[in-house]
Formats: sequence, C-alpha cells, structure tokens
Amino acid sequence: MGLDEEALMWVEKYRPKNLDEIVDLHDVVASLKAFLKTPRTMPHLLLAGLPGTGKTTVALCIARQLFGANWKTFTLELNASDERGIDTVRDRIKDFSRYGRTGFGDVPFVLIMLDESDQMTGPAQTALRRIMETSSRTCRFILICNYSGKIIEPIQSRCAIFRFSKLDKKAMVEHLKSIAKKECISLSAEAAESIVEYSEGDLRHAINALQTAAVYRDGVIDEKTVLQVMGEASPRQVQLMLNKALSGDFIEARKLMYDLMGLYGFSGSEIVRQMQRELLKVSYLSPEEKADLTNIVGEYDFRLTQGASNDIQLSALLAQFSKFAKSKGKLGER
Amino acid sequence: MKDNFLWVEKYRPKKIAEVLGNEDAKAAFVDWLKSKRRRKKAVLLYGPPGVGKTALVNAASNEFGFTIIEMNASDTRTEKTIMKIAGPATSFVALDKFSTETKGSLLFLDEVDGVFGKEDRGGIGAIIRTVEESLIPVVMAANDPDLQKLRPLKKVCELIRFRQVRLPLLIAMLKRICSMEHVEAEFEALERIAQNSGGDVRSAINDLQSLAEEERVLRLQDTTRLTPRNRNIGMFETLKGVFSARSLGEAATMLNRSNADHDDLLLSISDNLPLRYEDPVDLSVAYDLVSRADVFRGRIGAENWHLLRYFYNFLAEAATVCPQSYRPFEFIFPPIRIITLFWTKSKRMAVDGICAKIGARCHVSRRTAKQEFLPFVKIVLEKEKSNAIASWLRLNTEEIDYLTKMNKF
Amino acid sequence: MVCLNKKSFKLPFVGKDTFLLLMRLGLDYNKGQGSYCIKNCNNIEKLLDTIANILNTEKVTFLQSCVMCGKDFPCTDCRYYDLCATKDLPFRCVCPQCLRNERLYEEHVERN
Repeated sequence: MGLDEEALMWVEKYRPKNLDEIVDLHDVVASLKAFLKTPRTMPHLLLAGLPGTGKTTVALCIARQLFGANWKTFTLELNASDERGIDTVRDRIKDFSRYGRTGFGDVPFVLIMLDESDQMTGPAQTALRRIMETSSRTCRFILICNYSGKIIEPIQSRCAIFRFSKLDKKAMVEHLKSIAKKECISLSAEAAESIVEYSEGDLRHAINALQTAAVYRDGVIDEKTVLQVMGEASPRQVQLMLNKALSGDFIEARKLMYDLMGLYGFSGSEIVRQMQRELLKVSYLSPEEKADLTNIVGEYDFRLTQGASNDIQLSALLAQFSKFAKSKGKLGER
Repeated sequence: MKDNFLWVEKYRPKKIAEVLGNEDAKAAFVDWLKSKRRRKKAVLLYGPPGVGKTALVNAASNEFGFTIIEMNASDTRTEKTIMKIAGPATSFVALDKFSTETKGSLLFLDEVDGVFGKEDRGGIGAIIRTVEESLIPVVMAANDPDLQKLRPLKKVCELIRFRQVRLPLLIAMLKRICSMEHVEAEFEALERIAQNSGGDVRSAINDLQSLAEEERVLRLQDTTRLTPRNRNIGMFETLKGVFSARSLGEAATMLNRSNADHDDLLLSISDNLPLRYEDPVDLSVAYDLVSRADVFRGRIGAENWHLLRYFYNFLAEAATVCPQSYRPFEFIFPPIRIITLFWTKSKRMAVDGICAKIGARCHVSRRTAKQEFLPFVKIVLEKEKSNAIASWLRLNTEEIDYLTKMNKF
Repeated sequence: MVCLNKKSFKLPFVGKDTFLLLMRLGLDYNKGQGSYCIKNCNNIEKLLDTIANILNTEKVTFLQSCVMCGKDFPCTDCRYYDLCATKDLPFRCVCPQCLRNERLYEEHVERN
C-alpha cells in the first residue's frame, strides 16, 4: 500500500493531515497543541462526540505530528466492533508493542487508537483499563467514542477528555464548497446547504454524499441531484418498513425487515438504530407520538442487548408500531 | 399448463454420466460391472433415498445394454416368494459371466432393507442364498444405512455407499430443468429447494414441479410452501393445538407435552402470529409476549433448563391472547428465519469482506463502513462501474458485481 | 484441524496393526512415494477418526476435487459450507469458480 498513493475517496483525500487544517475545532486543537509540545507529558486521550465531527481526524493528525511520515508504524488502529472481544484487543496490543516498538525520536511511546470504545461492555472496559495501566510505559491510548457517559469512571479519570460537538453548518458548507472547487465540480449553494441539512452535523456523511452526487450528474450538483442521492443512499427501505408498520400492514413490514437483514446483513440493533433515526424524520407524526414511539424502540433495543433474537424482537417492535397506528387512528400515508 | 408427466420421469438419467454426484460410488459400480473376474457377484448400493441408486442401475442398463430383472424385495416377504421369482431367473439365463460386450441380465433387488424385519428373519437368509445360487449378477439397493443389519450381506456382496447429492450439482440440475421447462426461477429459490431436499434428487425435482408447474415462475417466497421433509409431525400438531386452545392452561399443557424443539417452537409461533391475529392490538400484545419469551430463552442459555416452563408460559400466553377469535389457518413452516438464513449467509460474508476493505482504507470499523459508506460506494459504482474508487478500495470484480447487483431499495 | 488431499497424503510411521487397519478401512499405500491415498470411502467416518488419532489432532478433513476443472479445494471455500451434510469428506464436488458457470450441468455430463 503506497503511502503516497492518492486517496480517491474524498473523505480520505481531503482529510486534514495537520491540526491547523481542521475545520471548526479551535478549542480542542489549542489544548492538544499544548500537550504535543512536550510529547512525554501527553496523557491518554478520550475523544467523545457524535459521528463525523472530527475525532478520528484529530487522532490521525496527532499520530502524524508525533511520528512524522512513518506514523503508521507506530500507531495501532482498533475498532471495538471489529474485534471479537477484549482478549483479542489485548493480544493485538501486546503484539504491537513488542518487537522494539517503544517509540520514535523523543516520543517514548506508541499510539493505540481504539474507536467505538463506548460499545464495549462494562467488564471489557474494566479489562481495558488494566491493559492501559500495564502498558502505560510504552503505549498511549486515544479512545474514541460517541458517548463519554458510556465509558466507565476509572477510564475517564485516566484520560484527558475532549468533546466534539456537531459542526457548525456554515463551516461545513464552506468546506464542501472548497472540495468542489478543487475537484472542478459545479456545486450550487442550495445543493451544498441541502447536503449539510441532511447530514445533521456529520461532515463525513456530507462529503460522501457530495462525492456520490458528483458521479451522479457528471460534475454538476444541484439540489435535485442531492435529493435523489440522499433518497437512494438513505435507508429508504427502513422508511418504507416504518410506514408499512405505522399504517397497520404488519406482514409487509416484516417482509421488508427480512430483506434488510438478508440483503444487507444488517443486525437487529443496526436496524433499530436506523428506525430511530428515520422515525424522527416522519412528517406526519407529532412530537408526542415520536416520543412515545421512541420509548417503545428503546425498550426493544434494550431487549436486544439482553441476548434476544434479532428477527423476533424486530417483528415484535413492528407489531407495536402497527398497534400504535390503530389506536391513534390510521396514520401512515406514504 | 400441467403436463401429465412427472418431471422425475421425464428427466430420469439415461446415461451414467447424467446421474448426479456420488462419483466414487458410480465408478465403483462400473468397475464391478466391467470386471470379468469379480471377487463378489453381488453388490449392495446403500444410502439415503433419492440419491441415485436406482437411477444408476437403470442408466447403466441403458448404456451397457443389459436387462434388468427387477424385484422389489420389500414386497416379497418370504423366502419362498423370493426364490419363486429369483429362482427361475437365476437358472434360465445361461450366462455365467457378465460383461459389457455380451448383453446379459442383472437381478435387481430394490429396497432390500425392507426385508430385514423381525418377522422376516428368513429374508436375509433368502437373499444370501439367492446371491450364492444366482448365475447372474445381483444388484441390491438399500435405504437404511444401518450397517448392523446389512452386515450378514457383506460376505457375499460388495458394499457401495451413496451419499446425499451435494448442493452445487443439485442446483445446476434444477437450473437445467427450469430452462427445459421454460420456468423462470430465482436462483435463491432453487437453492432453497435444493437445501430443503437434503440431497434427495427425487424429492427436489418433485418439489420444483409442484411449486413451478402452474405458473412457470418461481420466486423465493414461493418456497415457503415447501412441505417440510423429515420434520416431526409434532410441530404441526403442536401449533394447531396451541393456537386453537381455548385457555391459557390448555395451551400450556400442549406445549409442555410437545416433543417439538423449543427453539423451533419459538420461531414458528412468532412467524404465525400475524396469521392468527388480525387485530393489530391483539397482535402487538401477543408479540410482546413472544418477545419476552425470547429474552427469557436467552437467559436460559444452554444450562438453566428448569426455567423452561416460564418460557413456555409466555408462549402459551402469546397464543391465547384472544381465544374466541380463532379461525383455522395454514401455518408457515419451516420458520422464515431458516429460509432467510440460508440465502443470506454468503451474502453477508460478501458484504463483510467489502466493508473490511472500506474500513481499512477509511479508518472506520466494518460496521460503520456498512452503514455510512456502503450505500454511497454502491451508488457510485452503479453509475460508473469502472470508477477508480473500486481499485483504490482494492475491490475485486466479484465484489463490484455483488454491490451493483444488490437489490435496489 | 488438518486438511488432507485424498489423492496423496503422508502419515507418520504406524505399526503393522494400524497399517492393516488403514488398508481395511479403504486406504492404499504407494511405497515409492511413501504416501497414502483413499481407495474407497465406505468406511470414511472410521477412517477419519483413525487418521485423526494417528495425527493426534481433533479433526481431519479432506480437500475436494472439482469434477469440472479438477482443482483441489477445501470445503471452507464453498458458499454452502454450513449447509452441506457431507462437507470435509474426500469426495468430488464443484469448486466455487466452476459453480458460477452457467452451463454447469451440461458440461458435467459432457465431461463424463
């Protein structure tokens, strides 16, 4: 894998390589720079915030700043959901910090980036804390998560916590425009704003949408194109399924659910999460109704974490939706 | 549009090569047929039904031109009858050495294990004697793989084992029949039929015919009508009893007495709820109960079986939410999940592989790749199959194909 | 878990009794190459057990040889791995590449 091979996905191509290039994160960046002046003093870091707000980018920039061009040799990237448990994590860290990899130049440690750390169970996090402790001489951890509240206290207290908030819309629009310019694409202002609206503060999502839209109409992106792309990319099937359920057509809804699990291989919790997102977008539900439904979704999401089966819980959830429709009068129009 | 033909008849193999699978068995059989100085003059073909034992014998007779004198051994139940039929046959044909050059005859005893009952203890002895006295080669076929019963035969005949026909060949054959019969079939439906047949070619073809003959179109969802094979009847009786029960107690008793597997029950009851309850409120109550049964099942795990009765209780409650609204209905079986699991496993692996590649390049987990990147990559490649993204992500042609052909939402 | 090729595989030295057992269970031995091959599969389950014991491993599986192209491949390559009743046994099958062939059945017949 050539290090200077040009990245073709724009999320990578235009990912800032330098802390200064980062969009709209001045406070975070300022504090970090202080640490980076004397790397020896750098603590473990906990980067928390919603998706697409720059956490991974910041972590990678830190790695680059510490280790220069060969940063990959001294950085281990892990995802909690990809590993099969805390033991594999431990093994990978052990292997990595072996073989004389104890640092580079005046940086006396290697970097372990652990993404999705809030997805780890309590016991796994406890084990992680121990790993962090025993390897603290040779490793620094950058933990990345969406909700810092899900990280256990003992880990939080050992980290410097940085919070990433939803990006400012104007800044996102500007960023999209600058990418469009560099890629010689015509991007209308409305289209840019449309993309940003749909992305709800997730810059990564926005850039992916931008790139896809560019392919769609050969370098010309207007609002219509954006709507088409978002319609295709957003899980319309989940919307459809939701609508069917809300209008009382349970059997159709369940069929669509099986398609989702079968064709895309989405797990139960992934679908539930999508349902939650789509639920908020349904135009014909009032805020109270959305709140009620959200509670129901939450209950079933919880049951899924208790080791229940995907298809049964989802079917049951869809059934609750269809009851809901009946008791409030027929809701679902498509 | 119904033929009067059974497709199993129409597509019966006429040549040895057309008999599917069991290559080693076929080769061994042909060896036995051809060798002039055979060690044993009888051969026993054994294995599950419908995998080609009889078909092979018939095809061989076609190809090599010998006559088969067939006897269904399980019809004849006594030594006398066997001898009566095989006796004349074994003596009148004067050929004592069978070869492919001379047209000869073969004695074929099908379903020879039907003879091995307690009442028929004479049966095996008769067969052994038949073989010993026969002047023509004897071919026997048995369904029962129980070698204990067959052991006495080992002395006089060579054993050739047949196994279930493997899925790839079975599917290919179903495909061919579809094209000859002008049936438009979804590949996944054929996979499902093949899987359901358990390697039994005959039943696979029969299933295909019953599902596809009318409309000449076969979709995956049509395969839910497949009759379960070798499933315990217990499941149907249980479902019927449970759903039509007039009280919680009745349903609970039914469940406790059932010998159906509890995981199958959970799935089947869950699948059939919308057919049982038309009213959405009833349906939602029932489903919530099944959901709790499911959670409970997870807690029981593999050890806490004493908790099973609470599990059954939830299920019983789910089935009797509104006893008075019961009307007989046709059950869904086998469970929908089993149907979907089959044709999604390989698809899921394909998606996993693609997501791993995206993840490696874009610093995200496979899960994030699937949710955040995959839809976009798919659209890009659909518009421009040769887009450089594909090679940057190191996707191979198979993966690109899969992405672009994956059903649109 | 060990994966062997039924056309030719090696085993460590075994005593006379075991050797005779292996022969009875369906193996053949090539003195020149010092390797075994499977002659018949009637006792395949017992054979696998015996070989597993000899090799001191939990499970022994065999490669398939493709009836179309002759290639040897392991069952784990096949998409029907979880559903196959006779997986890992040393028979012939259809390799994943040939499986994608549209004219699979016709060619299979032609070839034989």
